[in-house]
Amino acid sequence: MNCQLCQKESDAYHSGNLSEGLRMQVEMHLEHCRDCSESFQLWAIADVVMEAEKAVKSNPFLVTRIMAGIEEMEHEGATRLRIPAYQKVLKPILISASLAAAIFIGVFVGSTYLPTGTVQRIPVELSYMNDAALESVDLYSQL
Amino acid sequence: MTDQEIIGQILQGDLNRYKLLVERYQSIVFRTCMGFLHNKEDADDLTQDIFIQTYQTLSAYKGEASFSTWIYRITVNASLNKLRKSSKNPFLQRLENVFGSEKGKEYNFPVSDAENPETLIIQAERNEWVEKALNSLPEKQRTAIVLSKYDDLSQREIAVIMETTEGAVEALIQRAKANLREKLSALSKKKKN
Repeated sequence: MNCQLCQKESDAYHSGNLSEGLRMQVEMHLEHCRDCSESFQLWAIADVVMEAEKAVKSNPFLVTRIMAGIEEMEHEGATRLRIPAYQKVLKPILISASLAAAIFIGVFVGSTYLPTGTVQRIPVELSYMNDAALESVDLYSQL
Repeated sequence: MTDQEIIGQILQGDLNRYKLLVERYQSIVFRTCMGFLHNKEDADDLTQDIFIQTYQTLSAYKGEASFSTWIYRITVNASLNKLRKSSKNPFLQRLENVFGSEKGKEYNFPVSDAENPETLIIQAERNEWVEKALNSLPEKQRTAIVLSKYDDLSQREIAVIMETTEGAVEALIQRAKANLREKLSALSKKKKN
């Protein structure tokens, strides 16, 4: 048996569907051919991994999740349909008007504020004081 | 009760009947998703999305093909779309690999000493090889091999789902297996070096 034929029979060999004679021929070839032997081993690994993934079970609550999702979707759809068109327009208009009114009142109240006696006034004499003409402390420190 | 009868009742407004369809096809949809995504949680989420999408488009089902063929087509398309989307976001994928690489990977390996840490590491590595090799296949080859290996479908059934001939499916499966062997061998050699 050559490598090409051996690779061709690989699937049947792994699934056990090979006749006794062919199976022996494949095994004899595998004993002598390192490449085919390695390829068979790798395919066996792939088979094990795929079988393991195949055996994984889905979430036991998946059906419940799906049905809940569909019911929610249906409910949302029904609610959306029941809202009259004028309500769909009125709601954003009302929200925008409330926001504009809140901003206007805020600005208006802010502009009418006048400070009442809590701020200390600066004496008039102090405002005439010329800071630039004051003697520098450095003059004394250099002595 | 046949699928057609159930669908008829659902379209007349009996939502609860859809549960029967979900229970009937949940396992095949999940298995196919697993074959494409190799992650339990992703496969669960996609199965849920597929059934919701199927419900929304149920009125488009004309009964020309069997319901199982129809749902297989939806599943294959949804899985391929998800893979295309995730390949477009390599940054997100890298983040996922960092924070949740083993998330949802609950495999039942048929080995006696599965709790041995060394065995677990070898198994995880081999699993990664197979996953990489499968993901590197062209879409048509991948679809054919998943439907054949994970769903045990005949070449005739696969041909109906993929809307092609049995001969084409046979060629696809042979090429997919040859490519898988090649990729696995390359990964194994890379590991040895």
